[in-house]
Amino acid sequence: MFKTLIVILLSSVFVNNYVLSRFLGICPFLGVSKKLNQAVGMGVSVTAVMLLATAVTWPIQYLILDRLGLGYMQSIVFILVIAALVQMLETVIKKFSPALHAGLGVYLPLITTNCAVLGVAINNITDGYNFLESMVSSLGCGLGFLLAMVLFSGLRSRIDESEVPGPFKGLAVTLIAASFISLAFMGLAGIVDTIFK
Amino acid sequence: MSKNNNCMSVLTNGIIKENPVFILILGTCPTLATTNNVVGAFGMGIAALAVLFCSNILISLLRHIIPDSVRIPCYIVIIAGFVTIVQMLVQAFFPELYKMLGVYLALITVNCIILGRAEMFASKNSVIRSGLDGLGMGIGFTLALTAMATIREVFGSASFAGISIPFLENYKIEFLVKAPGGMLVYGLLIALVYALTHGKAPMKKSFSCATCPSAAYCNTAACKKEEEGDK
Amino acid sequence: MIKSVKSTFVLVSICAVIAVMLALTNYITAPIIIKNENAAANDALLEVLPDGGDFEKLDISTFTLPSTVTDAYSAKNGGYVFKLTTTGYSSGFVIMCGINADGTVSGAKCLSSTETLGFEKTYGKELVGKNSESIETVDTISGATKTTAAYRSAVKDALNSAIILGGGSVDIRTEEEILLDNLSSALPSAEGKFSKLFITEVLEGIDAVYTADNGMGSVCVVGEDFIGVDSEINVISDVSAEMAENISSQLKNLFASKATEISIADYDGLPSALLSASKTESGNYILDLKGAGYGINGGNEYHPASGEYIYICVSMTKDGKIIDCLTVSEEETDGIGSVCADEKFYGQFVGKTEENYGDIDAISGATITTDGYKTAILRAFQSVKILEGGQG
Repeated sequence: MFKTLIVILLSSVFVNNYVLSRFLGICPFLGVSKKLNQAVGMGVSVTAVMLLATAVTWPIQYLILDRLGLGYMQSIVFILVIAALVQMLETVIKKFSPALHAGLGVYLPLITTNCAVLGVAINNITDGYNFLESMVSSLGCGLGFLLAMVLFSGLRSRIDESEVPGPFKGLAVTLIAASFISLAFMGLAGIVDTIFK
Repeated sequence: MSKNNNCMSVLTNGIIKENPVFILILGTCPTLATTNNVVGAFGMGIAALAVLFCSNILISLLRHIIPDSVRIPCYIVIIAGFVTIVQMLVQAFFPELYKMLGVYLALITVNCIILGRAEMFASKNSVIRSGLDGLGMGIGFTLALTAMATIREVFGSASFAGISIPFLENYKIEFLVKAPGGMLVYGLLIALVYALTHGKAPMKKSFSCATCPSAAYCNTAACKKEEEGDK
Repeated sequence: MIKSVKSTFVLVSICAVIAVMLALTNYITAPIIIKNENAAANDALLEVLPDGGDFEKLDISTFTLPSTVTDAYSAKNGGYVFKLTTTGYSSGFVIMCGINADGTVSGAKCLSSTETLGFEKTYGKELVGKNSESIETVDTISGATKTTAAYRSAVKDALNSAIILGGGSVDIRTEEEILLDNLSSALPSAEGKFSKLFITEVLEGIDAVYTADNGMGSVCVVGEDFIGVDSEINVISDVSAEMAENISSQLKNLFASKATEISIADYDGLPSALLSASKTESGNYILDLKGAGYGINGGNEYHPASGEYIYICVSMTKDGKIIDCLTVSEEETDGIGSVCADEKFYGQFVGKTEENYGDIDAISGATITTDGYKTAILRAFQSVKILEGGQG
């Protein structure tokens, strides 16, 4: 049991990293990773929203949609729930902790249409995880996202300082750099299974 | 005549001048995720095209009815509805493709091309123009995906749409069909487009909130700061 | 206020319209999707039974089938497809097996296997066309004996299941159940409770002796026959007078056999593996030994490290031939080393001498346990030599 959870956590952080091997949440990864503090803010917000979204969508799927035979309403219900949750979270943070809102609040509206959040909610259902496993997998995906963001922001600050050939300026070189990080993560594939064999 | 011309340009706009993948840099997630084989990429393109076309038309039809304050939730519901319909049709009639695309089919819902076009075009233009815009953008998306998938599949798995190419069999660069290969090919193609257009067409600004379609409505401090910073 | 009511109304209406559209699409596509999924499942079945046509899933709980069968499908042409889950020595694998209407194997395919030998891709082909008897003639693959044997016996289970589903009857009892049945019919008064006797005297023609737990007699196994003997050691089964006399005299001798403990401290050079020894009046030795289990210094030497010993009892003639052997207790890994407590393993040593005791089949996946056991048996031979006055 405990072992299963650890395997889920580690593999979603390192092996099936949402950004670097499953290509979910690429937009914020490329867009908001320019500075370290932005990267951390975005990563933490995404992790929080992922956990919250899973905590709500998992019961909705199993207690409401499946029981009523409305499984096909999944995408539409999930995206609305996520949008509403994000809105609520922003309102609550704004009211109770203006300081936190100044730090994280700005990233929240961007998360509604972040495919990593909807992706993790749907994947937890398709993978047949139970509630606890789903929560752990969401945590792993969020932390994986944070890790990728933080690593990449470091790389980007170096790129910004260097002389890049004309056509590669901007997004092209950013993508190629991301490719190398992804390559590094590919080396971790299989390591989790082997450790726990 | 001039009106016809105008419509024509709306259609072709999305295919070349404002190609969503290489010029507007939208929908990066499916672009990277589904282009490791031609069949999947083409299927993804057509699915997105269908959703884009239908949602553009419906949103344009309803553009005077939908109140401004709830327009984003309305767009999301409409888009998610069409995505689910497409998803069910693909599952019923193309089960192989459905397996191949997996979660990415459902994630068309949050594909920024579609929400972006709804927000920036369909909500402000006539039904015909919006439909043509959806069609053009969809075709542009499909062509770009197929082109990128062709490069990755031919050189990465020595096959095209599943048909193997014998003389390349021994020279496969398997890395290309894996995750990092997607980013590398995409990066190179963007640089190529930039070089071919002499830097006119693609984003002068670096990739940021400025190119994000949500920037128009998200209005957050992050976007504003970003924009100010860029100026 | 009016504005927000209007907004809510529009949003709710759009949701409702979209929901209706989805329900309609689902109404049209759902049957097709289910049909597709069934077709895909059907294809998997057709692969092992190509002439099967359409398949129907059977409720296997209404039949008594071997426990390896997890799913059963009947085909239109009278054949069957079985999904089998075996338990290999380390882990199990899933086999789809098709059986023709004439009771021969039409195809077998391994679906999942964590065993790394790769044979499972080809072994199924060797079983095609065999029926429940001729399947025994297919050889196992050397190097993968245990797994191929498990594969073969799973396919045999499928063949037997097809006979059962076709209304026939097959003996699917386990070996233990068959043995107990034979013992009970030879000695009904034992009420089905027997223990195997540890033999300390050389017996001629008798392979094993089981005693009734309630003291009502015993049963001798002679080849294929089970011969009942009452508590007075009179043969009650129907055998020739000569045979009856032979058996009862041997048993009387065996039951009367007494052993006296030898003080092993009086002998020099006895191996430390020897815990105690006794000698019967007829000069046979009964030795208690400990073998190094897994975790004790690689199993080969006796070392006061942590880990558990395997306790073994061996009876041996004075010229060094094993009469009987028994694993008294062990703490080896469940399902791997613990096989050393299986009679099929230790029974192999019966009749062996120092020259040929090494010829036994090792426990698959438990080389260290096997080596530790064998070393203990070697120490038994050495002990008897020293006790007889020779050199170990």
